Amino acid sequence: MRHTGPSKMRRIPAAAYLGLALVILIVATTLVSIIWTPYDLSVLNIDDRLMPPSPAHPLGTDPLGRDLLTMLMIGGQTSLIVALAAVAIGLGVGAPLGLLASAYGGVADEIVMRMSDIVFAFPALIFAILLAAVFGPGAYTAVIAIGIFNIPVFARLTRGAALPLWTAAFVLSARTAGKSRLQIATEHILPNIAPLLAMQATIQFSLAILAEAGLSYIGLGVQPPAPSWGRILAENQTLISVAPWLSIFPGLAIFVFVLSVNLASDGLRRRYNQPVERLTA
Amino acid sequence: MRDWLRSGIHCVLLAAALFCGQISYATAAGVLRVGVQLEPPNLDPTSGAAAAIDEIVYANIFEGLTRINEDGSVAPALAMRWSVSEDGMAYVFHLQRDVRFHDGAPFSAADVKFSLERAGAETSTNAQRAIFSSIVSVDVIDVHTVRIRLSEPLGALPTYLGWGDAVIVSPASAATNATNPIGTGPFVFDRWRQGASVRLSANAEYWGTPAKLDGIEFVFIPDPTAAFAALFAGDVDGFPNYPAPENLPLIERDERFNVLSGASEGEMILAINNDRPPFNDLRIRKALSHAIDKRAVIKGALYGYGEPIGSHFPPHHSAYVDLSNRYPFNPEKARRLIAEAGYPDGFEAQLTLPPPAYARRSGEIIAAQLSAVGVKVRIRNIEWAQWLEQIFANKAYDLTIVSHTEPLDIDIYARDDYYFQYRDEKFKNIIVELKSAVEPDARHKLLVRAQEKLAEDAVNVFLASSPKIGVWDNGVIGVWRHGPVQANDFTQTQLSGGATRSQASDRIGALPIFPILIVLAILALVSAAYFARASLTYLLKRFIVMGITLFAASLIIFTILEVAPGDPAIVMMGVNADEQSLEAVREEFGLDAPAPVRYLNWIIDFARGDFGQSFTYRTPVAELVSERLWVSLPLAFLAFILAAITGITAGAAAAIKEGGPIDAVIRAGSQAGIAAPNFWLSILFVLIFAVGLRWFSAGGFPGWENGFGPALKSLLLPAIALAIPQAAILAQLMRTSMFEIMEKDFVRTAQAKGLTRNAAIRRHGVRNAIIPILTILGLQFSFLIAGAVIVENVFYLPGVGRLVFQSIVQRDLIVVKAIVAMLVLTVVFMAFLIDLSYAIADPRLRRKTQS
Repeated sequence: MRHTGPSKMRRIPAAAYLGLALVILIVATTLVSIIWTPYDLSVLNIDDRLMPPSPAHPLGTDPLGRDLLTMLMIGGQTSLIVALAAVAIGLGVGAPLGLLASAYGGVADEIVMRMSDIVFAFPALIFAILLAAVFGPGAYTAVIAIGIFNIPVFARLTRGAALPLWTAAFVLSARTAGKSRLQIATEHILPNIAPLLAMQATIQFSLAILAEAGLSYIGLGVQPPAPSWGRILAENQTLISVAPWLSIFPGLAIFVFVLSVNLASDGLRRRYNQPVERLTA
Repeated sequence: MRDWLRSGIHCVLLAAALFCGQISYATAAGVLRVGVQLEPPNLDPTSGAAAAIDEIVYANIFEGLTRINEDGSVAPALAMRWSVSEDGMAYVFHLQRDVRFHDGAPFSAADVKFSLERAGAETSTNAQRAIFSSIVSVDVIDVHTVRIRLSEPLGALPTYLGWGDAVIVSPASAATNATNPIGTGPFVFDRWRQGASVRLSANAEYWGTPAKLDGIEFVFIPDPTAAFAALFAGDVDGFPNYPAPENLPLIERDERFNVLSGASEGEMILAINNDRPPFNDLRIRKALSHAIDKRAVIKGALYGYGEPIGSHFPPHHSAYVDLSNRYPFNPEKARRLIAEAGYPDGFEAQLTLPPPAYARRSGEIIAAQLSAVGVKVRIRNIEWAQWLEQIFANKAYDLTIVSHTEPLDIDIYARDDYYFQYRDEKFKNIIVELKSAVEPDARHKLLVRAQEKLAEDAVNVFLASSPKIGVWDNGVIGVWRHGPVQANDFTQTQLSGGATRSQASDRIGALPIFPILIVLAILALVSAAYFARASLTYLLKRFIVMGITLFAASLIIFTILEVAPGDPAIVMMGVNADEQSLEAVREEFGLDAPAPVRYLNWIIDFARGDFGQSFTYRTPVAELVSERLWVSLPLAFLAFILAAITGITAGAAAAIKEGGPIDAVIRAGSQAGIAAPNFWLSILFVLIFAVGLRWFSAGGFPGWENGFGPALKSLLLPAIALAIPQAAILAQLMRTSMFEIMEKDFVRTAQAKGLTRNAAIRRHGVRNAIIPILTILGLQFSFLIAGAVIVENVFYLPGVGRLVFQSIVQRDLIVVKAIVAMLVLTVVFMAFLIDLSYAIADPRLRRKTQS
């Protein structure tokens, strides 16, 4: 654990500001789509199908005559909600488990770490497929599958970061003051590792967007008629030579969103000079 | 242990032979490569309902007494001629002489008796057992004559005997036809590479007109995009049923290809649960028919390739009546009917959709059309397994969209327990009469009445006849335009132009790869322990931890698959199988034992290297998986090498040139690589390199036996797509690691000793910076294997990833369990090795554990 101080702060690169701006833009567009979209997706206009990008349809239309920009805007809602919920599960369950393991050690520690090992033993995608086979595909399945995989990430990070703090002077003084381990964990340890957890959360958020897109792509994510980025790609892949815009823009949306989140998060990381654990799912 | 070692050595030798000895480019003219969408569960057409079986073996490998011509008429096959008695209760068939089965056994009347009695037997799993059950006896009159006695007149008997379910098999080979089909046809079964292809070769001893091809290779391409790519990349000569109608305008423009649009037996319907309110009200069903614009559905979902219908009957049949305008598109009238039925504000309904593209696409159009008349439709997409269980078996649905492809299947509406739940006495009487009618005129009239009755009762919304759209290379001559039976008859097909095509050499037997893996694992373990000099207690502790993890993981896998929905027996046997056949299958695969017993059996067998038998392929799972590993492991390994080399080089270069343009480019590139989804990269690669530049084939795997080069080439694009994100992560880690090393004293010392800064970094920095990266590399290999699930699907590589996904859809639980368990084993073992490598790398840990 590197205890951070102001002296280690660095300059935030321009790319981070660009990333942050793009994240805000994409999130704002998605929020706008809740109250307004360029077109109404429930109205199918078969005569306007497979239109290339034009002023009327800036990103073109799909085989059912629906406006791709509208679909991407609404699809963004799914990606955002699923990714946020999945990270919330990972953080909400993983961080307390990690804290408990570091606070009590011994059997508690062993149980938490072995449970982490077991979850880590399942490649994320296989686990998601297994879950979808049981609960049926859908947004909830995606949230649970990605969320569960995030739990050990946060549990391990929290434990690893918290362990050295238990021997720190301020913890020792708290203990001599008669505070319980649980109190120390929440009042002293947690605030100290919160920035680290927040930064890992941004990384996990961008990974969750990728994972959601992958699950939707193989048909295990949110179900139609609700659009999602991954599913638009999968459904229109066959049209790659007739309507390449349907294969390019949804992928581009995923790519740009993930890239912007990563850039913004790297900027934060540099500012606090924090190490980040990154694994693909 | 000794056996493992021996088979391990055996394998290494085989592998060496494979890589060194067989690097050759065998070519032969005249093998037709046919793309088909679905892989059959087995190759025995008498054992189940899957149309995919008939599409490969019927007419090519197996023949019946009669055969169905392209126009639907009945022609002689193994029977030269036949006669029917006055009362229609007995048929006499005169058989061809000098016919032999592919194994050399002579064909005679006894085989006919055996085959038909077997198909109609109590224990038969034949999907059309109902037809054979009206056969009272099959009498051998002499070696070349049989008489079939019926319990009731059956006018269509010669037609039924031309179906794939009624082919003649030999008693000697009947039991093994599922994996090694032996028939009398012009083609002989050659090999089946699971997940990839089935190959047939010409039968030199054929009794009739010999085939004009040297062989046929059926290549399985489930994904419409991959089908398109395979056609354009020249991987196949054509598709008898092209799955992506949206590409047809483009294909028609291309002079390399012929598009054959013909009639099929497929009727696409919006099926209605006639038992459920409000659909039990005729007015509601009529309203649905009025509310749906069939032309918009055909235009939007079938891309114009289809014809509107008004009953459950194909337009090309001579008894067809056009009822497509019985309920013209009229939303106003639909709304009125719904109000009359007591729903002035409309109602809610659920539309459940199976996976095919036509169902998913038309589902969205129909949902929009129904909502326009006040029916609020919720769409639910499910897999075939769930469709079979929830809708077909349990009838738990409101509406669904599906295409019925069996020929002359209007009688399904007379079945009480069929999922439409129609149950109409008048209609049943028509079908009873039809069954016994022999006169063509009488049959014609009854068929018309049956069609009209279904339209009158608006049982379902009859949407469109789904056409058979074949797409073929110009050089392919003599393929069928129409599809009167679920079959691909290539007996008269030939290739012009004498193009040279690659032809695979003999099948390489499945290699016992698991014993090798186990031997390697033990060797790694022992050597790691030796070199680490870690204490025995430390080793033992890690080992116990690994055991507990594996035990818990195995319980999780077993439990999850245990509660998964979908009856595997129904999936294996097809929707038309009866309860008896299902019981037979459950017993055969031990599906009826209690859960703890099955768990224990699974674990014990797994430990022994026996992973059971696949439900669907009917071959040992170990064999299936080891065959797939020869694709997945090289793919993951290639991606691993690519990622490691580019990632480490780029990361080191960026660190050395920190702040310069190279650093900037590499940093930007790695950011991009991390953010790009690998399936999107795969799609773009196909678009650019396969469809556009045609440098690479768009997918598929030629097999290692066709030479090292082509196989490697087909793995290159998928490996790059897999490697890019991992390389990007490695580059970032390497760059960071380099900075830490470059601060270290020994680099400064080296500089002080007279080396230039760059030389100091090259000699001492890079090597040391790689060490922390190694543990990440170990983890990444597991992720690469898992990541192949998606990428293998885009490139239709027959690897483990594709197998596991297919198996989940097919509810082949034994295969799913084996693969997931194997992957989990790999990951856990990797974690164990990393633990040990820490012990090697970190002397403090070693000392601690030994104290």
